[in-house]
Amino acid sequence: MTEKQKHIRNFSIIAHIDHGKSTLADRLLEATSTVATRDMEAQILDNMDLERERGITIKARAVKLNYRADNGEDYEFNLIDTPGHVDFGYEVSRSLQACEGALLVVDATQGVEAQTLANAYLAIDNDLEILPVINKIDLASANIDGTRAEIEDIIGIPAEDCPAVSAKVGLNIKDVLEKIVTDIPAPGGSPDAPLKALIFDSHYDSYLGVVVYVRIMDGRLRAGDRIRLMAKGSEFEVVEVGTLEPFGLAKAEELSAGEVGYLTASIKTVGDTRVGDTITTAEGGADEPLPGFRDVHPMVYSGIYPADGARYGDLREALEKLQLNDASLVFEPETSIALGFGFRCGFLGLLHMEIIEERLEREFNLDLITTAPSVIYNVKLRSGEMITIDNPSKFPSPDEIDTAYEPMMKAAIITPTDYVGGIMDLCQDRRGIFIDMKYLDTTRVELHYELPLNEIIYDFFDALKSRSKGYASLDYELKDYQPSKLVKLDFMLNGEQVDALSFIVFEDRAYGRARRIAEKLKENIPRQLFEIPIQAAIGSKIIARETVKAMRKDVLAKCYGGDITRKKKLLEKQKEGKKKMRKLGSVEVTPEAFMAVLRLDDDN
Amino acid sequence: MTTDAVGLYIHIPFCRSKCRYCDFASYGGKTGADIDLYIDALASEIKGYKREERIRAKTVYLGGGTPSLLSPSQLLCILDALRESFDIEEGAEVTLEANPGTVSADTLAAYHALGVNRLSLGLQSIHENELKFLGRIHSYEDFLSSYTAAREVGFDNISVDLMYGIPEQTEASFEETLRSVIALSPEHLSVYGLILEEGTPFFDIKASLPLPDEDAEYRMYLLAIEMLGKAGYSHYEISNYAKAGYRAEHNSIYWKDGEYIGVGCAAYSYFEGERYGNPRSLEAYLRGDLRCEVEAVDRAAHRFEYAMLALRLKEGIDLGEYERLFGRSFTDGIEDRLDRFISMGLMTMAEGRLAFTDRGFYLSNSVMADIVR
Repeated sequence: MTEKQKHIRNFSIIAHIDHGKSTLADRLLEATSTVATRDMEAQILDNMDLERERGITIKARAVKLNYRADNGEDYEFNLIDTPGHVDFGYEVSRSLQACEGALLVVDATQGVEAQTLANAYLAIDNDLEILPVINKIDLASANIDGTRAEIEDIIGIPAEDCPAVSAKVGLNIKDVLEKIVTDIPAPGGSPDAPLKALIFDSHYDSYLGVVVYVRIMDGRLRAGDRIRLMAKGSEFEVVEVGTLEPFGLAKAEELSAGEVGYLTASIKTVGDTRVGDTITTAEGGADEPLPGFRDVHPMVYSGIYPADGARYGDLREALEKLQLNDASLVFEPETSIALGFGFRCGFLGLLHMEIIEERLEREFNLDLITTAPSVIYNVKLRSGEMITIDNPSKFPSPDEIDTAYEPMMKAAIITPTDYVGGIMDLCQDRRGIFIDMKYLDTTRVELHYELPLNEIIYDFFDALKSRSKGYASLDYELKDYQPSKLVKLDFMLNGEQVDALSFIVFEDRAYGRARRIAEKLKENIPRQLFEIPIQAAIGSKIIARETVKAMRKDVLAKCYGGDITRKKKLLEKQKEGKKKMRKLGSVEVTPEAFMAVLRLDDDN
Repeated sequence: MTTDAVGLYIHIPFCRSKCRYCDFASYGGKTGADIDLYIDALASEIKGYKREERIRAKTVYLGGGTPSLLSPSQLLCILDALRESFDIEEGAEVTLEANPGTVSADTLAAYHALGVNRLSLGLQSIHENELKFLGRIHSYEDFLSSYTAAREVGFDNISVDLMYGIPEQTEASFEETLRSVIALSPEHLSVYGLILEEGTPFFDIKASLPLPDEDAEYRMYLLAIEMLGKAGYSHYEISNYAKAGYRAEHNSIYWKDGEYIGVGCAAYSYFEGERYGNPRSLEAYLRGDLRCEVEAVDRAAHRFEYAMLALRLKEGIDLGEYERLFGRSFTDGIEDRLDRFISMGLMTMAEGRLAFTDRGFYLSNSVMADIVR
């Protein structure tokens, strides 16, 4: 190990959502004087407004901190931030692989939660030294000893002398910094071995092209090197390397084993630099890539349409811009009879979907209509062919299907014991298969279920929260695809099928959901000049029906001299309203009504 | 400008008490002295219209409020002022709105002698309970005596206002009202569906009102058309019915894009390319505030209003005239929609006219929002 390596510490901060990860990161930056306090905007690691507002980190980022320890020596800390949500589990795991240690932040008022555990296990799997940090000790309800005990009992790592801090008020931050020096191992690897650099993130910059965030595991990396991305097989020439300073990139001569930094190589899209891929030199490179690379695939799909059809081009541009920095977002043009031109978009999960929708609306000022989220199904046809369905409209008719398969998730739910009954009912109701239940301590249990993703995306998280007064936490990952009785539910207005309303559902659920959506349609479709039959169907079989009665009366009885201006305004307003209407076949529906119908909520 | 004679409207914003559904500008509980002050203000406004060559008028309409609260001498003052400033045509229709119970035979005789040749009586219903709900101050008997007296003093052009959709009203009770009024054989009828206007006591309590359901209300509308049709009244406007030769000339000016001058508080005018209105507030009007809302009617607005108003008439819109006036076809680009409305039985197209059917009238706002541009 070189002298340089001995003075490097690479670590992540992991935590359950809202346990204060980003705030702790801020304090570390502040305490290492990397950022002057006056320049400090709270949580600078989360550099997207949305992240700051939601209090969660969406994209991993890294930053270099300089610290003079009590032993008088100078250290270089590389803090690699990780996304804090289940949708981004793979990114978390790659970020962890770039580290030797992890600060496990636990909220002293909440204790260990589902993602605390899931993240801790991920860190353990990656052979990281885990340094627990108990946070929020300034709050009256903080239970420091209890939290220590939980960390030891539930996760099984010593927490006796772990730092207890308040990141918010900046209490005991120094303890954390010293612990990083003493407890987290210096990075290994040999600067003289063939290059192996792990890509743990990337972002698009309009001047530099893609900026690739790397951890050098072995070897050296310099500008001018010809590099190869081992999984993708593509080659580039390095334009620039450097380190990741809090306020931007700092060019350097080289990066060598143990270091964290960036490279640019005139790469056009982030899609070319997959997280988890290994970079080596094109000549005399490493034989084997680093383990663990996985191509991530979207799990949830939804149709996104501009509320104003004329803004289709803007929507495309916006999606392209977001994709520059988010290789996991996929989209392709889609046409709906009801909604016009839009895009079928794939997301890692529901949160990812919500974030993209919000960014489209907020950053690009678009009004959107989104169809109900759908998961990916596999269908074996009678013909023996196997097809993948990411859009309900492509679902084959019942008589063509041999077997349909749906994604089954391994779900872990941690909840106070008081709510176990309600949550088990919920899981049962959502077709969950009970695996086991572990008491974490006397007050909390961890439940394991197999749950169809199809059910999880149907408002499961909200239902879970409401049944546990907000205390239960959820973590899940794909287990496998399992055979399931799936049907496509179609809706017809005035005899015409509305493609955007179709969705795939477990057969036993079809009746209830059909009835409910038909009712919602009835409530939300404004009365029109004619009666509108609403029908829900599986194939050609009608399973629910409702009727929107024809409008009875819409007339101004009196219109004399003084009424004319008013009457004109009334008509103009009515005309304006009509302009905003979406035509579903011959039926006019306000965008609001359409969204009300598409919005999924708990129908139990 | 136009050489056509105008209609004159005079607003009398006084009532004994205000009806519960009414959103017109009217004030209850005013005395004769208050009315005198108001007449002074009217007279000075009227004077403002006096020109070298007086503006010709073909109709005079005294509306309210309750114009029949005017004493004959007060009415004379107003008419004198009008004659002084306007050239009122020989044989002009002069209408006065009267509330049953506010007029005696003597007053009616005086009105008639002063030149009022058309009387509009607000009956609404022959049933006590319905009248009470509306907050009307008269009974059916009051109406009958006013009506008979009007006939006796020589009114040969009487219009009666009726209403359907009243709380507690049933199809049977409405039919009875229609039958009784048809038996009296007035020359003209206005039959309005009750509208709950915001700002009225009715609007605030509408959830608790025992209103007939919408299907019953629609059948009442059709019943009026049917019964009045059989009795020889033509349904010439959404809410108006007349025996041959007795259409309301003044009101027809509104629907046929004619000019009119309104005087008095809350009165509106459409004159020389502008729409304008006086303040609704009596105080403001008495202070001398006039023309508080002025709107120049440009070509686009004119086109829109023309079609919107013409479609209120049973004869509908004369497409040839529309094209001559505005240099463009009314139907261009909306043929599909028109075909749909015609096939739905809401409109008809015949002899160069596009018009609503009876059913179409009832949904006319929605349809017009689709076709009037």
